[in-house]
Amino acid sequence: MKRQQPNGFFNRFLMALVALFLYAPIFILIIFSFNAGTSSSVWKGFSLHWYGQLFHNQIIMRSVYITLLVSLLATVIATIAGTFAAIGFYAMRRRRRDALMAVNNIPMMNADIVTGVSLALLFVVFFNGWSSFAGWVNSWQSAVVLPEKLSMGFGTLLIAHVMFNIPYVILSVGPKLRQMDRNLVDAAQDLGCTWMQAFWKVIIPEIKPGIVSGALTAFTMSIDDFIISYFTAGSSTSTLAMTIYGMTKKRVSPEINAISTLLFVTVLLLLAIVNIREASMERQGERRRTAAAVPGFTRTSDGKMPVWMRVVAGAVGCGLLAVLIISGRSANARPVVNVCSWGEYIDEELITEFEETTGIHVNYQTAESNEALYSLIAMGGADFDVIVPSDYMIARLIEEDRLAELDYDNIPNFQLIGEQFTHLSYDPENKYTVPYTWGSLGIIYNETMVDEPITSWDAMFDPKYAGQVLMINNSRDALAAALLDLGYDINTTDEAQLTEAFQLLKDAKDNGVYQAFVMDQVFQKMEGGNAAIAMYYAGDYLTMLENNEDLRYVVPEEGSNWFVDAMCVLKTSQHKREAEAWINFIASTESNLANMDYIWYASPNAEALEQYPDYYLELYEEELDEELYNIMALPDEERERCTLYINLPPETLALYNDLWNRLGV
Amino acid sequence: MKNKLSRFAVPYVVWMAIFVVAPIVIMVIYAFQDAAGGFTLGNFVKMGGYGEVFVRSFKLAIIATIICLLVGYPVSYWMSREKASFQRVAMVLIMLPMWMNFLLRTYSWMTILENNGLLNQFFQKIGLISLYNNLTGSDLAYFPMMNTQGAVVLGMVYNYLPFMILPIYSVIVKLDYSLLEAARDLGANSVTVFRKVILPLSLPGVLSGITMVFVPSVSTFAISQMLGGGTEMLLGDLIERQFLGGAYNPQLGAAISLVMMIIVVVCMLVMNRFGEGEEQAVML
Repeated sequence: MKRQQPNGFFNRFLMALVALFLYAPIFILIIFSFNAGTSSSVWKGFSLHWYGQLFHNQIIMRSVYITLLVSLLATVIATIAGTFAAIGFYAMRRRRRDALMAVNNIPMMNADIVTGVSLALLFVVFFNGWSSFAGWVNSWQSAVVLPEKLSMGFGTLLIAHVMFNIPYVILSVGPKLRQMDRNLVDAAQDLGCTWMQAFWKVIIPEIKPGIVSGALTAFTMSIDDFIISYFTAGSSTSTLAMTIYGMTKKRVSPEINAISTLLFVTVLLLLAIVNIREASMERQGERRRTAAAVPGFTRTSDGKMPVWMRVVAGAVGCGLLAVLIISGRSANARPVVNVCSWGEYIDEELITEFEETTGIHVNYQTAESNEALYSLIAMGGADFDVIVPSDYMIARLIEEDRLAELDYDNIPNFQLIGEQFTHLSYDPENKYTVPYTWGSLGIIYNETMVDEPITSWDAMFDPKYAGQVLMINNSRDALAAALLDLGYDINTTDEAQLTEAFQLLKDAKDNGVYQAFVMDQVFQKMEGGNAAIAMYYAGDYLTMLENNEDLRYVVPEEGSNWFVDAMCVLKTSQHKREAEAWINFIASTESNLANMDYIWYASPNAEALEQYPDYYLELYEEELDEELYNIMALPDEERERCTLYINLPPETLALYNDLWNRLGV
Repeated sequence: MKNKLSRFAVPYVVWMAIFVVAPIVIMVIYAFQDAAGGFTLGNFVKMGGYGEVFVRSFKLAIIATIICLLVGYPVSYWMSREKASFQRVAMVLIMLPMWMNFLLRTYSWMTILENNGLLNQFFQKIGLISLYNNLTGSDLAYFPMMNTQGAVVLGMVYNYLPFMILPIYSVIVKLDYSLLEAARDLGANSVTVFRKVILPLSLPGVLSGITMVFVPSVSTFAISQMLGGGTEMLLGDLIERQFLGGAYNPQLGAAISLVMMIIVVVCMLVMNRFGEGEEQAVML
C-alpha cells in the first residue's frame, strides 16, 4: 500500500512500544552476559568471564556443533529431495498431486509436539522390530553379526529434521515451477537438448530462486526447532535448544547469556548484510530502469553480488566451517562411557581426571528425576551405560530385567563401601549396584521468611505460606510428604491412603500454597530468596547454604525418607568394561572425598565418610561444623526415623502416575 | 516428458509413507492399546479426568491469539503506511528475535518476572509496591507475576506475536491502493474504508496468523514449564510427561495427542471454511 497519509505520533509511539516489548528481554540477556556475578538479576560489575567460560563448556560447544551440523545436513538433503519431489508433483495429474500435497502439508499443519511424538513412536516400534529381527538373524548364522540394540541419536534427529524441512522446500519450489513456461522444456529438446540437459539447463535455472528461498526457510526451521528434536534426538545427542532447556531446569549459568549474545550478534550481522545488499540492488535496479528505460531488459543484468559482499559471505562461510571443525574435534573415536546422573551431582574435575588417566571419554548427562530417567530408558531413547538411580527405581529396573549384573572383580573398590549400604532391600544379593551417595529428604526453609522454625511436614500444606512453597516435582517424593503428614507409611499400597494423600496435595495446590513444582530449579529459587520453603535433599541444602546463610534444614518430626543412589549398568550397554572402570574410579576413597566436598552428599565409602572432617580441616584450615556433618551424614539414630522407599507393585505405580497427572489438572 | 518427470516424486512418496503417514498410524494404534498391547478404550476414558487441562490449554491459547491479533493487526497496518525504508527495517526488527532460539527469550522473561526479579526490583525502587500496600492495606514484598497463567500467556504472546504480524503485513502491503481510492470516491469515510475494504481483504492474512499463533500456543510445554512453574499444566506438558517426563505412559500420551490433533484440525477447518465464506461474500 502506498501514498497513504503518514502515521501520527501516537501510532508510532505504540509501534515503538511493541518493539520495546520484543527487544527488552533480549537486551537484558545481553547486558547480564557481561555481569561479573552469577546472578541473572543482580548486577555485580562488568566482566568478560562468561565468554571465556563458554568456550570451555564442552556441553554447550558440542550442542552448537550438533545444531549446526544437523541443520546444514538436513537443509542440503531436504533441498535436493524437496526440489525433485516438487518437480515430480508438478508433472503429475492434478487430482493425484492435490492428494499428495495434502499429505505433504501434514507436518506443517500439525502441532510440533504431535509430529515429534509420532516420530518417536515410529522409531521405538522400528527399533523393537529390528532387535527381534537382528536377534533372529544372529541366532542362525554367525558370518554377519547385526547390532541388536539401536537407539535414538543423531541419525533419528537428522531424519526428523529432513522430514519437517522438505514440505517447506516443496512449498517454495512448487509455485516457481507453475510460473515456468511449459513449452520451455519442449523447446530445449527440439533444439537438441537431451532429457538430462533440458533438466539441468532449463528447469533448474528457472526455479533457482525458489530453491534458494526454500533452503533458507528449511535452515531457519531447523535452527529454531526445539520440540521435534527433543522427542527424536535421544539422550546422547543434544541440540543447543535442548541444552538450554536442560539448563533452565537446573541452575542457570550466565554462559547462556553469553551464547545468546553471540547468536544475536551473528544473526544481526547476517541480516544487516542481506538487507544492505537488497537495498543497494533495489536502488541500482531503479537507476537502471529510469536510465535505460528498455522494458524487459533489466532482468538479465541484475542479481550480481559486488565483490566485497562475496568476500563477506565467504568469510562467514569459512567461519561456520571453522566452528564446525573446532567444536567437532572432541567427537573422534575414543573409547566412551555414557553416564547419566542428576544435576549438580559430581565434582566435574573427577571426569577430567578419569579421562586423563584412562583415556576413556565420558559422556556425562543428567536426568531430572528417577521417573524421568525411567521414561527415557523405557522409550528406548537412552543409550546410557552407567546410571545412578535411587533405591526404589533400581528395584523396579531389576524387576523389569533392565540392569546388567556387574563383575565385581573389575570393581575392587566395592570392598570399601560401608556394610550398612550394601545388600539393601532393593538389591538383596548385591549383584547389580555400587552405592554412590546416600542422604535424607527434608524441608529447607528460609529463616527470615517464616515466623517460627519448621518442624513438621504440615508446613508443605499450610495455606499460611501460600505462594511461598516449592513442591518437589516428582510423584514419589511429593506423595511421600503427604503420606508422612497424614501418618501413613511411605511405601503404602493402600489406595484409600494414597488418594487421601493426593487430596491433601491437591487442596494445598488449589489454595495456592505452591509457588511452583521444581527439581533442580530449587537452588536458584531458594538461594535468591524467591521462596520460603521447599522440600529437597540434605546434600543440596548444604550447597544452597554456601550461597544463602539464612537457609535451614530439618528432617521433620513425622520421619522421612532416606535414600541410597547407586551406580548400575544398563543391560543394553555397549561399553560394559568402560562402565565398570568408571564405577571403580568413582567408588575410590579419593573420588568419594572430592565428591563429598563438592556436592555435600554423604559417601557410602566407609573410609571417606570417616576421613572427611580431617580432609575438610586440611583443605580449608578450619574445623567442619559438626552440625553440618550430621545433616550430610545422618547419625544412625536419626536415620532410623527414616524409611527407604521400596518398589511398588505395577497397579500402585499406575495409580501414582494417574494421581500425579491429575494433580497438574 | 511430463510422465518421466513425475517419477522424480516416487522416492518422496515412499518417504512420506514411512515418515509422515506411518507415524500417525502408529500413534493411532498406540492410542487404542493398553500397556500389555491389548485393545482398549481406557485411554480415552481416563482422559475425561483431564478435561480441565484441555479447557485451560484452549483458553490460554485463545487469549494469547486474541491479544496477538489485537496488537499485531494495528502494528501491521501502521507499518504498511510507513516509508519503504522504514518498512524494511521494521521487518528485520520483527524477524530478528525469531532467529534467536525461543527458549532463550523465554528464559529472559524468567529473570524479569521472578519475585526478586528485575521488574519487582524496579517496582520497589520507584515505590510502587509500598504505594500499593498503602492503598490496599496489604503487605506485599513483591507482586507475584511468575508462575501464573498471566505469565504463560505473556510468554505465548511474546514468542508468537511475529507469526501474527508477518502474514497480516504481507497481505496488507500488497493491497491495491486504487481500491481504497475508489471506495473514498464513492463516499466512504476512513472507518468505512477500513471496515468494508481493508479488513475483508486482509482476512487471509489474519486467518493464517491465527493458525500460526494458535497451534503452537495450544501445544506448548516449554513456555508453561518455564513461566508457569509446573502449576499451570497445559496439554503439551501432559503429553510430554507421558513420554519423557515423570509419568511414563506412551499409550495415554498417544491418545491425548490424537484428540488434540483432531480438535485442532477441526477448529482450523471450521475457521477456514468460515473465512472462505467471508471472502465469497465480499466478492459478491
